[in-house]
Amino acid sequence: MSGRGLARLVPLALVVAVSLTACGGGDDADPPASTQPATEGDSVALTVTREGGEFTPNGERVELGVDQTLVLTVTADEAGDLHVHSTPEQEIAYEEGTSEHEITIDRPGVVEVESHEPDVVVLQLEVR
Amino acid sequence: MGPLSVGGSISAHGLGGAKDLPIPAELAIAGAVAALVISFTVLALAWREPRYDAATSGRPAPAWLDRLVSSRVLAVVARVLGMAFFLYVAAAAVAGKDSLINPFLGTFYVLLWVGLVPASLLLGPFFKAVSPVRTISMLFAKISGVPEGEGLYAYPARLGYWPAAAGLFAFVWLELVYPHSTDLGPVRLWTAAYLGIMLIGSAVWGTTFLARADPFEVYSSLVAKLSIWGRRQGVLVLRSPLANLDTVVPRPGLVAVVGVLFGSTAFDSFRESSAWLRLVQSMSMSRVLPDTLALITFSLGVALVLTVATMATGVTSDTLRRALPDLFAHAVVPIIVGYIAAHYLTYLVEYGQQTLIQLSDPLSRGDDYLGTADLQVNYWLSMHPTFVAVAKVLAVALGHVLGVVAAHDRAVKLLPPRHQLTGQLPLLVAMVGFTVGGLYLLFAA
Repeated sequence: MSGRGLARLVPLALVVAVSLTACGGGDDADPPASTQPATEGDSVALTVTREGGEFTPNGERVELGVDQTLVLTVTADEAGDLHVHSTPEQEIAYEEGTSEHEITIDRPGVVEVESHEPDVVVLQLEVR
Repeated sequence: MGPLSVGGSISAHGLGGAKDLPIPAELAIAGAVAALVISFTVLALAWREPRYDAATSGRPAPAWLDRLVSSRVLAVVARVLGMAFFLYVAAAAVAGKDSLINPFLGTFYVLLWVGLVPASLLLGPFFKAVSPVRTISMLFAKISGVPEGEGLYAYPARLGYWPAAAGLFAFVWLELVYPHSTDLGPVRLWTAAYLGIMLIGSAVWGTTFLARADPFEVYSSLVAKLSIWGRRQGVLVLRSPLANLDTVVPRPGLVAVVGVLFGSTAFDSFRESSAWLRLVQSMSMSRVLPDTLALITFSLGVALVLTVATMATGVTSDTLRRALPDLFAHAVVPIIVGYIAAHYLTYLVEYGQQTLIQLSDPLSRGDDYLGTADLQVNYWLSMHPTFVAVAKVLAVALGHVLGVVAAHDRAVKLLPPRHQLTGQLPLLVAMVGFTVGGLYLLFAA
């Protein structure tokens, strides 16, 4: 009984295994990065735009090295703050117009860069 | 003072700063393959006669240990400590500052919600022993001369664990969906409502209400079934976690409890995934509604998959088909605990330390009541992401083994012989689905 039962399981196991590997394979496609971070030497450069309460990029994932400098160029039509949810937290206060800010993160992890009012996650930094 | 004190700013995304890195694809796939292999190995090789029986399983503990654990002194000490800690944190909640350095938030979201899992795994039904509402309700009963544990009415059996499922959902909604989850006011209000409902409920239905409706007690007592501590006819016994798990009493609503616990943890990974984040942020409305719908979908989805998978078997007239989901729900508990360990390991260790430091200064005035205020958080886990990733996959795989074995034993006990193999296949596929889905979320989020 159990031998025949097992034989009947083989197709099922195959199907699940194939769908699993399919799952695994599909994940090579990274989220499309609309803003290409420019890597120059030891730093990563990104541009953040605030226009009429809307932010670009919108929750993009960006890879960053531990202790690597992220240069954020903020172009805003209104002054405000960006919160960098690293541990401990960091804040970036930007003025109206274009300004440049540098941050580094000293521990691996996923760190959100978030605006408050409006509450929007602008970037997710994948720090390795 | 902890590092979070910089500005004391309120995050719209729950407690905390950096989150874990996603686990590497190779590890996720290795975990998934292990889950598959384990499942079919158990199916093919495991015993054919049920092994676990609540009436006979377990070795009696040494007499001195039973005397100590069952002693009135220990019970009173646990209640006094639980109550003192509750009042200490309540003072911070009422009189402390509305800031992330208020230890009330860390105590509520980290020490209580996440910490009760390891505490119950190690010590058994931990929350029941220290529960402040249970203590208050017992004191009320004593003062008013009501026999201990009794209420005005008998708790309706058909309600089962449904109130706890509702309470657990209310908690995870507050934690994961509500935008002001780290403002003092709403969390205080939630806690006050919880205390009020529990006290009224226990006055009406006695302490049975707390065992069925208190979300924390139900969660803790369920996880405690994976500890080695059990009781048989009042005697303290030591059981293997699997034999202990088999003693979970199936009641209506157990599937819903399991659905909310697993579904919400999965949703927590999902809501931080880049794809979902960008989707909800590109909508014109606030993310509360889509997040609420997604949380419901995840919780219902788990409950529904479990229901369908356990009912899709041949039965004889001895077993009611619609009783099967609750009879098999216990088997998902180890999968939940494994996934929760994976999901919350760094969070518990690092924010747990943070909270212990903050607890020394409950009113944020620079006090140091506990002498822990100057300690520094150890970020060893964050600095070793590969170790964390391996630990996560091992926890998920271990949970899966226990779950599959528990389901197998229940199947050979309940199902008629000619359906035992085919009857447990749908559930096995569902469990592999839960585990692989959990690993996928740990990888993709």
